[in-house]
Amino acid sequence: MSHFTTILPTSFPAILPTTLAVTDAQTINAALLVSALLFTCGLIGFLTRRNMILMFLCTELMFQAAALAMIAFGRMHHDVSGQVFVIFILTIAAAEAALALGLVVLLYRRRETLDSEAWSELHESA
Amino acid sequence: MSSPPIATFTLLEAAVAVPPAFLLTIAVAVSAAGLALLMQPKHRALRVGGTIIGLAGLAMLFVEVLKRATVTGEEAGLPPVFPVIFGFLALAGAVRMITHPRPVFAALYFVLVVVAIAGMFLLLGAEFMAFAMVIVYAGAILITYMFVLMLAQQSPVAGIGEPVYDRMPREALSAIAVGFVILATLSEAYFSPTAQRFRNDSLTGSIVSGTQQAWARLGEMPKLLLQTARMVKPDVATVVEFDSKSATVTAKMTNGSTERFTLDEKMIPDNGRQVGVELVSKFPAGLEIAGVVLLMALFGAVILARKQIELGEDERRALAGMRRFTVDGEAGGASGDSRADASLIASDNGGSAR
Repeated sequence: MSHFTTILPTSFPAILPTTLAVTDAQTINAALLVSALLFTCGLIGFLTRRNMILMFLCTELMFQAAALAMIAFGRMHHDVSGQVFVIFILTIAAAEAALALGLVVLLYRRRETLDSEAWSELHESA
Repeated sequence: MSSPPIATFTLLEAAVAVPPAFLLTIAVAVSAAGLALLMQPKHRALRVGGTIIGLAGLAMLFVEVLKRATVTGEEAGLPPVFPVIFGFLALAGAVRMITHPRPVFAALYFVLVVVAIAGMFLLLGAEFMAFAMVIVYAGAILITYMFVLMLAQQSPVAGIGEPVYDRMPREALSAIAVGFVILATLSEAYFSPTAQRFRNDSLTGSIVSGTQQAWARLGEMPKLLLQTARMVKPDVATVVEFDSKSATVTAKMTNGSTERFTLDEKMIPDNGRQVGVELVSKFPAGLEIAGVVLLMALFGAVILARKQIELGEDERRALAGMRRFTVDGEAGGASGDSRADASLIASDNGGSAR
């Protein structure tokens, strides 16, 4: 077992059987896979969703995927810098949510619809 | 004469023995096909089939990826249960989020994704970020989204249901094609044998250096270091020196003598302390900039959400001509016009008059 440390803290095995313990390499691989899949889901959602609020929600999904990849790679190097980057991602996500939602409310007031197709031809409102 | 048997043999071989290098791409393709079927809002049977195909593709992906993580010489244990459970939860939530016809439900499924990701963070040893994620994302950002959804959502029409832009996806097939290409590239980059070997090597070497880095971070926290040293020897007066390689403390005791002793691995500072020290010691500029970004977002949101004033043709022309308005003169003018003038000038003053 020299290659791997069990990822659960030392107080856990009392509750969980040790055979359920996972190797670090497997956890990191699974996290990277989930992160890649989530990012793709967010991308597909951003392209296919026509509701403007949900389009921005899909960008939040991509932020989540990036945060997961950061923490997985941080775990790989046993470096907490990855977690610090996630704090910054969280900041940007919060700022983006505030601004994007303000914009969406503004656009909704103009056209009375959340459909992004309503803005496919930009010109002054009649 | 002999060419047809050879051709059939190679065809058969290609069909039966898929080269392991393509397994990931095939699994990604299966998942993409499942998602494409899931995005057919009109046919329920197609969606059921899509769920099955998508789950099969995901299972293929997980099995293949976890198989690549095993290093030879490692005893075979049970399959890693928790990462797979959290991963499937997150992915199910994400797929439901991008396919659900009702936006409020989609936002709630995003909460499921956040919670599952927080579970992943716990497995990866990032306790602080796991809880911060749940509090900030599920507690703050999602609530903002819900507010705006409630504010701006059109109510479903009786008989038709949700508005058409929520029910029908736009260009689903080409979007999934783009996603397939990106995911195939990403999985090939993450899980190619070279990358996997690099990751395993780094992981093997980083256990020692990880402990050392944790000790080095403790060395940057004199107060906590003193507390930790006092856990070993209660009568430590001051810590003279701390060697992070061997975790050895040189301390001056209260009776004036000097002692050297080693700290136990259980005394490594916890995750929250480590993240905090890393944040303020390595990224102070980033921290400041994050504060400025948040402040600017606050200003931006306030300015965007301010009540807009519709300008008439006359006011626009007057504005372009840079002429000063008379606010409450012109008794002959229509009362509606003079009110518009007043509000226009008020908005010029930053809205303080309103």
